[in-house]
Amino acid sequence: MSATTHTHLTAADEAAAVEQLHELGCTDGLPVIVPTPERVERMVLATGYDADLVLGAMGPNLGECSIDKVATAAVMAGCLPDHAPVVVAAVRAVLDERFDLTEMQATTHAIAPLVVVNGPARDWCGLHGGFGALGPGFRANATIGRALRLTMINIGGGRAGTSDMALLGHPGKFTMCLAEDEANSPFDALHTECGFDPDQSAVTVLGVDSPQSVMINIDADDPDCADRMMRSFAAAFSNVAANNAALRGGQAALALNPDHASFLASNGWTKAQVRDQIVAEAVVSADRLAESASYLGRKPQPDWSLPCFERPEDLLVFVAGGGGLYSAAFPSWCAGPHRNQAVTVEIEVGQSCEIPGFA
Amino acid sequence: MALVTTEFWAQGDFIARSVGIPDIPRVELPHPVAGSGVENMALVAGQTVPAIVAALRGSS
Repeated sequence: MSATTHTHLTAADEAAAVEQLHELGCTDGLPVIVPTPERVERMVLATGYDADLVLGAMGPNLGECSIDKVATAAVMAGCLPDHAPVVVAAVRAVLDERFDLTEMQATTHAIAPLVVVNGPARDWCGLHGGFGALGPGFRANATIGRALRLTMINIGGGRAGTSDMALLGHPGKFTMCLAEDEANSPFDALHTECGFDPDQSAVTVLGVDSPQSVMINIDADDPDCADRMMRSFAAAFSNVAANNAALRGGQAALALNPDHASFLASNGWTKAQVRDQIVAEAVVSADRLAESASYLGRKPQPDWSLPCFERPEDLLVFVAGGGGLYSAAFPSWCAGPHRNQAVTVEIEVGQSCEIPGFA
Repeated sequence: MALVTTEFWAQGDFIARSVGIPDIPRVELPHPVAGSGVENMALVAGQTVPAIVAALRGSS
């Protein structure tokens, strides 16, 4: 496939161009870098692909998602050329039919793509996985996630109130990208669970709610501490107000902070055991659900068993954040034809060449 | 033929255009209908039937 449609805009200067992009609804509300033809061309070079290569149709607009349009979004977001392969991989992930992007953009639920990067790309992009990794201050994290969002706006056509129907949304809809802190993780990296080698780079993208802090007070003198941790994590997903409890069956994510991961590993827990135990504990009480206003369809009966997850592998576990009291649960939507699945895509490196004007 | 509430009318237009059926017949309902009670739903249904019939006959 090749791209066929382009619109070239003109403006008196950079400031006027930014204002024009705002007026056209092409931004996320924040100022953007003006995607001049020269800047876009350099970003295209950094992807390593031809400008007119089409990655797919992005919903709900079913816009033709070509490399030059993705590069345009990356420029607007403030990406460096080094970030381009990661942006392309993230776009490929959300274009995968299992991701249900069209439905995700259109839902009234507050859901946004969480991008987790593994492998060497974390280093050559400068992606951060430690303290405040989902907060401000880290250019690669901020701009790669933002570039993905700008493709969803300008190619996918997701605009609030007409095609992106999230009733309130959450700040992660601006950007939500981080690296797994592999250096401080005692567990296998997330992408290796999908068959990638540790020295390969990959993005894993999952539609999620905003992160929910899970407070864990580690007590090394308590022989039951690890089991208590599992119950706390499970509670974050089995809260009857969360879709994971009310609808059930989707995938969700848990970012273990390095202290929590280290404590579990030093007590003999593998990541698979952590995941299995949390999934086993994440069962919503039918009584509590029935007493709430959160169930859809038939009222839950007391004898119903309502596990939040269908399979242990539906809970993605990775290590990120600073060490301390809090890990983070990412509840999810649990809807759409594929029930809110994660998609992992390799970051293809070695495709690009040296970019003129960029050291 | 689609039933669309006022809050989602613009989205209906958008999706209809994006999937290439901009003229798909639609009937507008007040918002919200879901959860508004059987009595109100019956009232809405009664008020909407003529528009539904017209849309199905292609005369809307």
